[in-house]
Amino acid sequence: MVDELELLKKDWQKKEAHLPKLSYDDIYKMIWKKSSSIVKWIFYISIIEFVFWAGINIIFSDPESMQELKAMHIYNAMMVLNFVNYGVILYFIYQFYTNYKKISFTDSSKKLMKTILDVKKTVTHYVWFNLIIFTITMVISIYGVLIYGQEGKQIVEAALQDSNEVTFWVMVAIVSIIFTAVLLLLIWLFYKLLYGILLKRLKENYNELKKLEV
Amino acid sequence: MNKELEHRFVTELENNQNIVHKVCSLYTNDRDSHNDLFQEITIQLWKAYPKFRGDAKFSTWMYRVALNTAITLYRKSKKRIQTQDYDSVIFKIKTDEYDDTQERQLKLMYNAVKQLGDIDKALVFLYLEDKDYSEISETLGITEVNARVKMNRVKNKLRTILNP
Repeated sequence: MVDELELLKKDWQKKEAHLPKLSYDDIYKMIWKKSSSIVKWIFYISIIEFVFWAGINIIFSDPESMQELKAMHIYNAMMVLNFVNYGVILYFIYQFYTNYKKISFTDSSKKLMKTILDVKKTVTHYVWFNLIIFTITMVISIYGVLIYGQEGKQIVEAALQDSNEVTFWVMVAIVSIIFTAVLLLLIWLFYKLLYGILLKRLKENYNELKKLEV
Repeated sequence: MNKELEHRFVTELENNQNIVHKVCSLYTNDRDSHNDLFQEITIQLWKAYPKFRGDAKFSTWMYRVALNTAITLYRKSKKRIQTQDYDSVIFKIKTDEYDDTQERQLKLMYNAVKQLGDIDKALVFLYLEDKDYSEISETLGITEVNARVKMNRVKNKLRTILNP
């Protein structure tokens, strides 16, 4: 086998003469073309995610919504949540930026792949963080609407006439949990698919190198 | 200043383009993909070039960026051809050379190498390029011992592919 590889090596070096030859101009044109690498895609997806979640926050922070929150007595809770939210988002953007800057093709393959996976991890953490915030906001809102909202009061009263209080709240809890779970599952699947397509090969290659170190 | 950098880069790449072509022929199966990968490697080389200090040889530096692009960044085109079509230049063997047993064996060998995974291919590539284990280990980011272990496994794998 070793001999065969040696044979291949000799042939390989002979084959150089048959390789295509690009001109100076061909290469010059290439350096201005746009990259189609997965790192670029990850970068775009991340930007969309940052904008999307920041947008959701801004939409729900308009004056009208704020008045409603005050009426429902959950204004303070929401403000604290928002404050924490923005702080953490800034931290994530910083983290994302520094990790992204670390990507260097002159690193060894293993290190390069790890940096790319780290960038992806930051974005995934960011998404999970937003989902948690989103869920907490939902729970507080449902609570606020049912206890203090006009329609909420009617719903509760109507419900209490038909059945007892405990059953009603248990129902509310179950519906909320199922709704949240389905939502999270869908989003999780979406990301699994998205990054699965983008990073499957890279992950496999990285694990292959990592496996050696054990 | 920038013009000068462009000129220096394009000239060096023009002189060393064989390295990139060889990586492309190993990692792709048809001419379109070959050109796509060549372009992507060129873009990555150009992006990294301002940081290239010249303390390593331009060609050594190229191996790293070219292989990294092939292993980590490049997405194979959707029309990936599963069967070997030998369209890539380096694997093309003229039909009149067919009868020769050695050529026949080489063809089988190239075919077997093509069936390897991305990392295994990188090892074989560096081996064929006459790189020593210290350079192979540095390029891939594994220890020298592990590079040897891996190389032995690749040889075994090739043996299994050749003699199923």
